[in-house]
Amino acid sequence: WYHKPDINEELLQSLPNLKVVASSGVGIDHLDLKLLSSYGVKVANTPFVVSTDTADLGMALMLASSRRLVEGHEMAVSPDTEYFPADWLGVEVSGATLGIVGMGTIGYKVAERAKGFEMKILYHNRNQRKKEEESAVGAVYCKKIDDLLQQSDFVLLAVNLTPQTQKLIGKRELELMKPTAILINISRGLVVDQDALVEALQNKVIKAAALDVTYPEPLPRDHPLLKMKNVIITPHIGSATKKTRWVMMEEMVESIEAGLAGLPIPREVL
Amino acid sequence: GPDLKVISTLSVGFDHLALDEIKKRGIRVGYTPDVLTDATAELSVALLLSACRRLPEAAEQVKSGGWTTWKPLWMCGYGLSDSTVGIIGLGRIGQAVARRLKPFGVRKFLYTGSGPKPESAAEFGAEFVPLTRLAEESDFVVVTCALTPATQGMCNKDFFGRMKKTSVFVNTSRGAVVNQEDLYNALASGQIAAAGLDVTTPEPLPTDHPLLSLKNCVILPHVGSATYATRSTMAVLAANNLLAGLRGEPMPHELKL
Repeated sequence: WYHKPDINEELLQSLPNLKVVASSGVGIDHLDLKLLSSYGVKVANTPFVVSTDTADLGMALMLASSRRLVEGHEMAVSPDTEYFPADWLGVEVSGATLGIVGMGTIGYKVAERAKGFEMKILYHNRNQRKKEEESAVGAVYCKKIDDLLQQSDFVLLAVNLTPQTQKLIGKRELELMKPTAILINISRGLVVDQDALVEALQNKVIKAAALDVTYPEPLPRDHPLLKMKNVIITPHIGSATKKTRWVMMEEMVESIEAGLAGLPIPREVL
Repeated sequence: GPDLKVISTLSVGFDHLALDEIKKRGIRVGYTPDVLTDATAELSVALLLSACRRLPEAAEQVKSGGWTTWKPLWMCGYGLSDSTVGIIGLGRIGQAVARRLKPFGVRKFLYTGSGPKPESAAEFGAEFVPLTRLAEESDFVVVTCALTPATQGMCNKDFFGRMKKTSVFVNTSRGAVVNQEDLYNALASGQIAAAGLDVTTPEPLPTDHPLLSLKNCVILPHVGSATYATRSTMAVLAANNLLAGLRGEPMPHELKL
């Protein structure tokens, strides 16, 4: 997404009457909350409504990558295709091990969906989830991210972007992953050390990647990730269904109206 | 050839076999059910998600530079939450598809076929309905039935005409279950929103086929069971079926003629 205009000191000084900033989506990494607070500006986001569609997209990316969907579609519609090779194969998601990094609302919904595919689910989170929540999806807590990385066939990132999660997945983490593993990112581009990812993919340290988010968005036209056969990139469409986008817009308007009326702001970010 | 004793097919479908003639000649047939159920069901769901979230289209926009600035309604697809899913053919693969779709928040499962299957349907609370009602009420239609004289050309102009404008059609059964010209018209005119096809008639489609030009049609090269693990298992099973047949022994999976 574009994150424009950039909300900085200059802009805030030029808008003395600004009371509320409503941000679409759940991520607020692009906002300097301290700065906004110092100007008395309130901030609201649209957290829970995006969760289901984003979890759906996480599953879509995992399945598409593992079963080589984009490649297969291109083969099926290409004018150069004469026949379908009998040994063109993918790898099953069903019964494989999924490691979820960031078991918040979105991460947990991914786990619920993955369970339908009889996947073995590992998760890494700041805090362990309640026993009932874990057993509902059969998720096993990995206090150390290394344990998750070493055992997973699919590593899915669903953390928010903070100073602690920036470059959470770097060269070291990628090398801990299986060479047959696939990295799926539905969080934020900066959670991954992108240059390290390019190198890891080029050197077959991991098998493939499916990314809904990159840094920047969009990537420059000559970026190596755009040319790799084993990389699927979607244009940050995690929440892109008409239904959800309508609700997001309504929620933002509701927050703004409350803020302007001096009332408690729904979905205020404190 | 007159000495042919056994046919061993690497598939669960047997619509490509002239069963009357085969039975007449006393030839035994082996096939590979069950072992490919998960891989095919999983591919059906992958195809459904790719079609409803416009994956190939979106991926192409990333590469082509069509992705520029943020617009709220750009590249929007459809969610599964609160949806109605209609399964045509609630067999092994159909059930495995329903099992995978359930946690996506599907509100209702409908199914149709030659007759109700209450034991299979119970797990999903699925309701047995006529084909017409399935078309009218489903947000997602998944075809997982066998190709038989009864199902040939079943998904035609009338069927697509009853579907919702926002609905998504997925076929992982056999190309001939669908009237392709009618499907093309339905997609091109916006009568239905999108389609995902793992099977067509023929395979591959001729390079100038109109279906290939549609942005809202995801087509795969018949890869339902195409995973290393599943194809290996199928190959071993097919070989064992064949050997058992030649030895006059019971086959691991024999097709009853």
